[in-house]
Amino acid sequence: MDIVVCMKQMPDLQQIRIKDRKPILENVPLVWGDLDKNAIEEAALIKEKVGEAKITVVAKGSDKLQQGILEPLAMGADEAVLLTDPAFEGSDSMGTAKVLAKAIEKIGAYDLVILGEGSTDNYSGLVGSALAELLNLPEITYVRELNVENGKVTAVRNMEESFEVVEANLPVVITVAQEINEPRLPKFMAIRKAGAKPRHEWGPADIGLSADEVGENAASVDMLSNLAPEQDRKNIILEGDLDEKIDALVDALIKEGVLGR
Amino acid sequence: MDFTMSPEQELWKQTVREFADQELEPIARKIDEEWHRIPDEVIDKMADLGIFGITIPEEYGGCAVPGEEMQYAVTTIHELARGELSMSLPVYTLLCIGWSILMVDHATEEAKEEILPKVVTGEWFLGINTTEPGGGSDLANIKTVATKDTGDSWIINGEKAYISGVREATERGGGHATLFLTEPEKGYKGATFAYFPADAPGTSYTTYSDMGRMGLSTGGFVYKDVEIPKKYILGEENKGFYVNMEGFNVARAVVSAACLGGAEKCLEISADYTKQRVLFGRPLLNFEAISFEMVDDRAQLEMLKLMLQKGAWLIDQSRKDKSKVDFREINRTMAMCKCYAPEMGVRVARNGMMYHGGFGYTKDTPLEMSLRGTMSYLVGAEGGYHVMKIIMGRDWFGDEAVPYRGSQVGH
Ligand SMILES: Cc1cc2nc3c(=O)[nH]c(=O)nc-3n(C[C@H](O)[C@H](O)[C@H](O)COP(=O)(O)OP(=O)(O)OC[C@H]3O[C@@H](n4cnc5c(N)ncnc54)[C@H](O)[C@@H]3O)c2cc1C
Repeated sequence: MDIVVCMKQMPDLQQIRIKDRKPILENVPLVWGDLDKNAIEEAALIKEKVGEAKITVVAKGSDKLQQGILEPLAMGADEAVLLTDPAFEGSDSMGTAKVLAKAIEKIGAYDLVILGEGSTDNYSGLVGSALAELLNLPEITYVRELNVENGKVTAVRNMEESFEVVEANLPVVITVAQEINEPRLPKFMAIRKAGAKPRHEWGPADIGLSADEVGENAASVDMLSNLAPEQDRKNIILEGDLDEKIDALVDALIKEGVLGR
Repeated sequence: MDFTMSPEQELWKQTVREFADQELEPIARKIDEEWHRIPDEVIDKMADLGIFGITIPEEYGGCAVPGEEMQYAVTTIHELARGELSMSLPVYTLLCIGWSILMVDHATEEAKEEILPKVVTGEWFLGINTTEPGGGSDLANIKTVATKDTGDSWIINGEKAYISGVREATERGGGHATLFLTEPEKGYKGATFAYFPADAPGTSYTTYSDMGRMGLSTGGFVYKDVEIPKKYILGEENKGFYVNMEGFNVARAVVSAACLGGAEKCLEISADYTKQRVLFGRPLLNFEAISFEMVDDRAQLEMLKLMLQKGAWLIDQSRKDKSKVDFREINRTMAMCKCYAPEMGVRVARNGMMYHGGFGYTKDTPLEMSLRGTMSYLVGAEGGYHVMKIIMGRDWFGDEAVPYRGSQVGH
């Protein structure tokens, strides 16, 4: 079985500081998105179960990937495709999906393509679906449980208010939810071996695209501003004894729409 | 010159940090106060990650990167110590992975094959056993002795004191690298170093009620006609003192790493607290009496870290090629680290308690736990604070600086 996992590095959200409502991204280390780690973990679990499988990670990003890719390789990926060419920078979600689709087509063999349901920084959740469309594959989103058997997948989808069980034939694109698994910490020996696993670096030409078909040049969405929501405290101080204060608090929360009636 | 970590070292550091955050921090207080032991599941998880094999070659089941063992050992202990501030688990681990190095370098093939694979799996504990009731600082005057030599083994009588892991080695299996006399009339030049299995018949132990690091036992061993097979020798007969000293350098590195990791975490806890604690209308951190002290501490920890990295690197280089490194430089560097690391650890924890005020004196912060745990390394283990100064003095001034050797008035 051939499994492709798409992963992205992003600034460590825990370390981003906000100044004038703008995130300061300089010198913030890059980490893998939590859901991306769920994606590679799921691939590794499937491989452990079915035995014969090859996992290829495809990652688009900066040259920091050279270092960062060690982690998914240590978690179980067999090979990596890095799309670090500066021409890819500034892609919108559709552009990213296009580049990933071309890279996956070049890889050629893919029974399962696994992604996170969204990236934990922008969380547009578009890439998985766009990718499925471009590859002309069925897609199952928000997967919290996955079972692969006899050329088929059975998946439990998290629909928030309910769970949905669906089935599809391979090949299929899967986007995973955080509950699907607990990503492993790589073992020391796996880290040691990861460095020797094959890596390929592909630029636009390698995947049959020209420079103006990718990155900022091809983006149809422009990010105009990226601001943290304004948070203001109302500084309401409730007076009275405990019972009065509780009543006043409940009233205030209802008025704010925090509590229903 | 290059101070960057390799991608592998970087990822390993991140891995151990995540492990410590997820698995250790939530249970540190329980280890210290309730369980008084490190849970087996935690040791199993650590073994599964490869932590206990980090200094042991693959042929014995380990996963050591040849030539980088100490760099990895120091990083590992540093990160574990951030998560388990009582120091119980960092010390347990540093003893195992530190004394494994000495085994790798000096044990017989038979002993290595028997012992090391069991250390890797976390099944066995490995520790160090030099101190005696008659004085730990004055190691050359130990009394534990081989009263008989049968050819294949020694018959040992004597007593050891303040030994970490007496209970763990006895209950789990494993043992301690032990210093004893084979030719008592020659003093330390008649001392031999060997692995003593904790379950060797005739061995018994008692434990002390300690001030801190309550998850790891400290106690004494008594040896009554205990037979120790010679296959357990470390190095050569009557050369044990020197082998022991070599082991101390490794141990001092990982001990310093444990103090450093704990101190770093205490400082972060203090930074978080002083940022949000408002007094006199502003955050406590806004007062320079507080922030200056904290930046001093931070800068000094950074200096310690660099020196420790150098020390670890020196040991790695010397294990690859002894002729390339001056043994005295290792000695000096490690003594300097081991002298100041516990002192800084205790100070940073104490300072943190001060910033926390009354809250800092409670067990709702882990600072007091860190202080109690780190104090053990100021007092002792691989030479206490003063003994490090003796080593540093001797290195600089020569025997003049050694009270029992230099020119004393009236001699
Ligand atoms: C928690 C804990 C765990 C330990 N674990 C181990 C272990 O696993 N294995 C092991 O072998 N030992 C272990 N030790 C023992 C430790 O190494 C000794 O406590 C230490 O070497 C000091 O020896 P001592 O306690 O006999 O003190 P002493 O040697 O009696 O020293 C008393 C004091 O005098 C100071 N001093 C000594 N000589 C001089 C001098 N010439 N000039 C100035 N000051 C001096 C010392 O620094 C110390 O402060 C442990 C100790 C503790 C507290």
